[in-house]
Amino acid sequence: MSIIAAFVMATFTTPENISVNPKSMLWLLPLVAAISIVYKTTKLPKIRFVHFVKESVVLFGSIVIFMAITALVLCAFAWLVTE
Amino acid sequence: MAPRSKEGHIMFLIIVGLMGWFVPGAGHLAINEKKHAIIIFVTIALTFATGLYIGSIGVINPVGAKPWYVAQLMNSPAVAAIGQITRTGDYPVYGRPNEIGQIYTSITGLLNLLCIVNAVYWAHLRRTGASGE
Repeated sequence: MSIIAAFVMATFTTPENISVNPKSMLWLLPLVAAISIVYKTTKLPKIRFVHFVKESVVLFGSIVIFMAITALVLCAFAWLVTE
Repeated sequence: MAPRSKEGHIMFLIIVGLMGWFVPGAGHLAINEKKHAIIIFVTIALTFATGLYIGSIGVINPVGAKPWYVAQLMNSPAVAAIGQITRTGDYPVYGRPNEIGQIYTSITGLLNLLCIVNAVYWAHLRRTGASGE
């Protein structure tokens, strides 16, 4: 097995080191991007680059903003309960 | 091209669905939607690979995380092959990498299920003549 193949195999057989901190929440962004792209692909019958990108970005923004609002509401609720 | 019989049409829908399951995007390729097929394949393959990169192949766990495994299986039958490798428990993964890896790989599985249903639906609409737009 070549060194490159061994390196590639190793990256998929050992987990990354991700600590539990607020920064780790940023891992949701690539996933939201993937969801937006695939969802818009299934919804648009004809794909034109500019229109497709615009629709995907709008959906991406909507999801992120909605999640941020939900997080703020939950934070406020937790603060009210614990104070 | 001569119209298919009802049985032939059902068989075609099944083939479209199976193609979409075996290779993400292949269902759309079968109905001549090349752009859709390429976008779906690249997005799902990259996101799935990201999930495996973060959590290792240990996130595919048919023994300890069955509900996640069912969703992961929607990506491709190849996931079952990975599941056979990890079944022995030689690739343990815990904590945040496990969570993120499982979420990534399971969500891509569900996205692929959405694409399979979409490809079958469009294949059906084309026979009935409805535009579906």
